[in-house]
Amino acid sequence: MADLSIAVRQVGDVAVVLPAGFINAHTVRDFEECLEGLVQEGRYTILLNCKDLHYISSAGLGAIMGLIETVREHGGDILLSNLQANVFAIFDTLGFTQLYRVFDEEEQALAAATPERKG
Amino acid sequence: MDHAQFRLVIPSQTRYLNLVTGLAKRASLVAGLDDAAAAKVSIAVDEAVTNVILHAYGGEGEHSVELELRFTEAALEIHIWHSGKGIRGDQVVLPDPKEYIKHPRKGGLGLLLMSRFMDEVQFKADEVSGRNECCLIKKIS
Repeated sequence: MADLSIAVRQVGDVAVVLPAGFINAHTVRDFEECLEGLVQEGRYTILLNCKDLHYISSAGLGAIMGLIETVREHGGDILLSNLQANVFAIFDTLGFTQLYRVFDEEEQALAAATPERKG
Repeated sequence: MDHAQFRLVIPSQTRYLNLVTGLAKRASLVAGLDDAAAAKVSIAVDEAVTNVILHAYGGEGEHSVELELRFTEAALEIHIWHSGKGIRGDQVVLPDPKEYIKHPRKGGLGLLLMSRFMDEVQFKADEVSGRNECCLIKKIS
């Protein structure tokens, strides 16, 4: 099994990214290229559905941090959903749950993203 | 429990990170830590070994990283040795998470995760062998 695979689907104006596996210094370039590709295509509202993400290191956090200002400058955002307990612990320990909106389920995140896009 | 220790030597390549973090997680469970604590040890080891590969060795893949796991009654100790560029404990400056959130940027979070997820993080240099060490300690509560 590959360390990381990434699926992307579009739901309305939201790009839903589903990373599966492990994001670390070895796999982060694939993750980064995926996010950068979305931004280059003008898809500025990105939902990371982390239901199959087992692990993310600071390399992966850096990839997300590196784009947050860009997407927000364009009226978008990066949202998170379905975090496994250990992945949530990483975000929460660093205080990142204050920077990103975190939802239990993808549907909740999509609903929250919708009024924002219209506002 | 008898004190035990064993060593693993890997090439300085990020492709082996998953192997090392998996070992760290399993070792944590064997030591008596719960799943949540084991996951944190695993992350800390990832960060420490990544620092060695990318910063101490500058991304050069032909070097070695040596890990030693020590099981004691009080703690799990993970010692990571390398021959690359070392850092001393007094050179470590942890970023302030609040400032980091105000001014997002890449990098700087690995040491913070290590310090938050482990009970002790020590950096040492062995002047005789010329090797450097990062020691991660997780107490068994």
